[in-house]
This record gives sequence, structure tokens and C-alpha cells, in this order.
Amino acid sequence: MKFGLFYELQLPKPADADDWDPDAERRIFHDMLDQVELADSLGFDYVFEVEHHFLEEYSHSSTPELMMAALSQRTKNIRLSHGIVLTPPRYNHPARVAERLAALDILSNGRVEFGSGESASEMELGGFGVERRLKKAMWEEATREILNMMTQTPYQGFEGEFFSMPSRNVVPKPVQKPHPPLWVAASRRETTMVAARLGMGSLGFGFETPEELGERTQEYYRLIREELMPIGHAINPALAVLNTFMMADTDEEAMRRSANGPAFFSYSLGYYYNPAVGGKHKPGVSNVYRDFLNRSDETASRQIERGGFLSPEQIASGEPEDEIQKALYRAARSGNAIGTTESLRRTLLKYEEQNLDLMIFVAQCGDRRHEHIMESIEKFGKELLPEFRERHLTNHTKWRKEQLRGVDMPINSSI
Amino acid sequence: MARPSDIRNDELRAQLEAAFVAMRAGRGGEAVKTLAAAYLRFFELFPDAKKETFLFRGFTIPRMMRWPNLGANLKPESAPSGTPEIEFERDRFAASEAMTYYQFVLDEILAKQDADR
Repeated sequence: MKFGLFYELQLPKPADADDWDPDAERRIFHDMLDQVELADSLGFDYVFEVEHHFLEEYSHSSTPELMMAALSQRTKNIRLSHGIVLTPPRYNHPARVAERLAALDILSNGRVEFGSGESASEMELGGFGVERRLKKAMWEEATREILNMMTQTPYQGFEGEFFSMPSRNVVPKPVQKPHPPLWVAASRRETTMVAARLGMGSLGFGFETPEELGERTQEYYRLIREELMPIGHAINPALAVLNTFMMADTDEEAMRRSANGPAFFSYSLGYYYNPAVGGKHKPGVSNVYRDFLNRSDETASRQIERGGFLSPEQIASGEPEDEIQKALYRAARSGNAIGTTESLRRTLLKYEEQNLDLMIFVAQCGDRRHEHIMESIEKFGKELLPEFRERHLTNHTKWRKEQLRGVDMPINSSI
Repeated sequence: MARPSDIRNDELRAQLEAAFVAMRAGRGGEAVKTLAAAYLRFFELFPDAKKETFLFRGFTIPRMMRWPNLGANLKPESAPSGTPEIEFERDRFAASEAMTYYQFVLDEILAKQDADR
């Protein structure tokens, strides 16, 4: 199992003020650069950054390509991963996505991972005029063509349903051939299986338990072997799962430092992605963090108090059935990767046993402190990462080779 | 492992197999139409499935409304009546849309089959 960090660039407003400290945005951008630079020096494998627009407080990461460009000059080995780029053409013209990915791949000497997706928040869909019921079809058409732009010389041009352009040579071309490894955002089981059929890595935003993961992993790799209909020119067989993360010398201290990060992560995600609530957001006026603290939902309030030290079985008990709601619930309940070295080892071994390819940690969320995130990254990098890496290179690599036996598509994967 | 061959009902199995062939051949529209028909037939064959619900944001919702509205949309007013209807906004569907519907219907049928075992 490999490890990565995940960034939304969350920035809650102060509860007692209507606006941020004027230096707040500059600070979280530079904090992220410092955190990833440290993670790279310790051997973390990936950094994933989202692309979101207008989701105040939940995510100030609207230009991941710029953050990745900065990171390309401050890091040496860590994979610079879009998790994800919004590819429906109204967000980003496909040719601009292909150009930016290739330029970043050159700047980073071939370290780019290309995750793509559609988003589902009304703030973003409405802001860019993307029709909800067509977004998946838009995503597929644009993503397919972006990959053609990176591989065809010249690009043959395209007359599509959602965008068209004449033949042009889209330059530069990426260092990685035929193109960087592909990922797609997957918060439901069926999307993970779509990812498998299309030959893409599945970025699991569902906070899956080890037990669920075992079944998904088997089915995902079976579909890669038996039902592949690749969207690109090389496949990336890979399953990733998100988990909230904070470490300290005691479980209690880790929970204290975790603060309300996971609960705010969950609350603000639900706030923007629920059409009934997200649609009422007043841009530049609403204070999501204050709403979060004042919410009347007792269950949600208890999540902060009881947040950690729950076994996957406890987390699974009494949770919503709908997969998106379940993911929010689990994100808030945290527990899995918050604690001491020994607590984390115990939990992560369960994921390793289920042959997970990549665990991605959400460290920066809510009002957590930069210095606590830095200490956690250092602790994990020194006390846990080496043993997992060793087993990855031996056991997991062998297991994966067996899973992919007989697959005759080119593979470009950094797992 | 979830395959159409795991479906015990002959009619539903045949529909899912036909949808799979259409999906693999790049005929997304045909696949989605077949899957929508299979989903509606599923409720005719297993009427107790119509009564199943799930909790969503504090509301009790008929389980059948989990159907993904990606252009073949379940009429919301048809769910409580117990006679679900799916209307098509368009004829063409992308491969990923067909795959989404395929996986959803396959999983729903197999889940019901397992629950009844």
C-alpha cells in the first residue's frame, strides 16, 4: 500500500467575524507547499489536490495546476496528482487541460497523475452553466479527447456533442507516454466499477471500510481483466481510499489536535452538495463555519465529541444507507487514521490485508493547525511509512502482477 | 463477483445479458433502454421491492428512487404510486452512462436476490 496526502485547501471563516483574516489565504497556500515538501522528503508517494470553484470555506483550491507547478519545483519524487480536474468543457476547454497537464509533466520530470471528474455541487454546475444530467456524458467526451490531444500529432480534430475543434497540434506533449496515469473520482460502488471498465484508477471518496474494500478490490480487478473498454491509450489499475488523518503521542492528543477538522469537512461538503442547502448559500456573505458550530443537529454535534477511536464495525453501525450520505457520515466520524503510531498501524494493516493500492490522508481540514499537520506527516513518514513501503515492494507488487496477468493493454501506473 | 449469469430469473438475466452486449458494442442508448425496461420489470416480478425505503437527509425515500437520473429519469411522482415510470430525455448515452446504469441494475437485482435467500 502506498500513501498520499489530499488537499481541498479548506479555510473556515472565523465564527465571530464576517470575513477571513486578510492573510489567511496566503497562509494556507504556503502551508500546503511546506507540508508537501516535508512529505516528499520523507517518502510519501502522492499528493492529490482537488479543483473546486466558489465553494467558500470548503475548498479554496480552484487552481490546482498552479499549486502543482509550484510543488514541481519544491519536491523531487512525490507524484503530483489532480484529484481531480473538472473536464466538462464549460469548466475547462479540453485543449487547455491537455496543454497544462503536459507542461506540468515536463516541469515535474514526469510526475503527473491525471484525475478527472465532473463535480456535483450546484454552486459549480450553475456557476459554469453545466447541465447536471449531461455532466457525465460531457466528462467522458472531453476526457477521451484530452487523451487523444496528448497522443496524436497533430490532433485530428473533433466534432462532438459538447465541444468541437479543428485539427491542431496540441503542444507540448507529456513526458509520460502515452499519457499520465488516469484516475476518476468515485464516491459510489458503481462508479468504481465504471472506473475499472474504462481502465482508470478509482479515487474512492467514500471512506470505505476494509471489509467493503475487499469485495470492491476483487471485483475491480476482475473487471480490469474481463470487461475492459479503455477510455485512454494506457490503463491505470489502481484503487485509492480517503481517510482523515492526525497523529500524536497519545490517542487523546491526536483527537484533540484533529479538532473539528473531519466534522467540518463532512458538514461543509454536505452543505454545498445538498441542492436544498447549497442553493441557499449567499456568496461572500454566508459563514459556513458559524452555521456548522450553531447547527441544531445533535447527532452532528456529538460527532465532534465522540469522533475518534471507533472501530470500522462501530463506524458502520447505524449509518445511512445512501452511499454519499454514508461517506459524509464516515468522514465526520473519523477514527480510522487518527491516533498513535500503534493505533494507525493496526488500522492500516486491515486495509493492506485487503490489497488496497493507495491510502490518501486528509490532513488539512477544518481549523486544524499547520504545526500539528507537519508533526503528523513527520511521525508517519518516520515511524510507519518504511515498513509499509517494504511490504508494498514485495507482497503487493507480486499480488498486483497476478491480478493483471493476461491484460493486454499498455499500463501506465505509478502504483 | 457480479455477473448477469448470477441472476436466477430467466427474463431479467436475458435483459441484462442483452444490455451488456449493447454496452460492449458501443450502443449506449440501446443498453440504457434495455436496463430501464429491466428495472421496471424487476419491480413487477418482485412487488415487495417497491415498498423498500432508505433514509436520505432525514427523509424516508422509496428505494427505487436510487435509480441514477442521467438522462433516463425516474418520474418522482411515479415512485410513491408503486408503478415506476422512466422517461428518456435523449436517445444517445455515453459508454460511462450505460456502464453506470448497468452496474446499478445488476447490483439491485443481485441484492434483492441475496436478501430473499
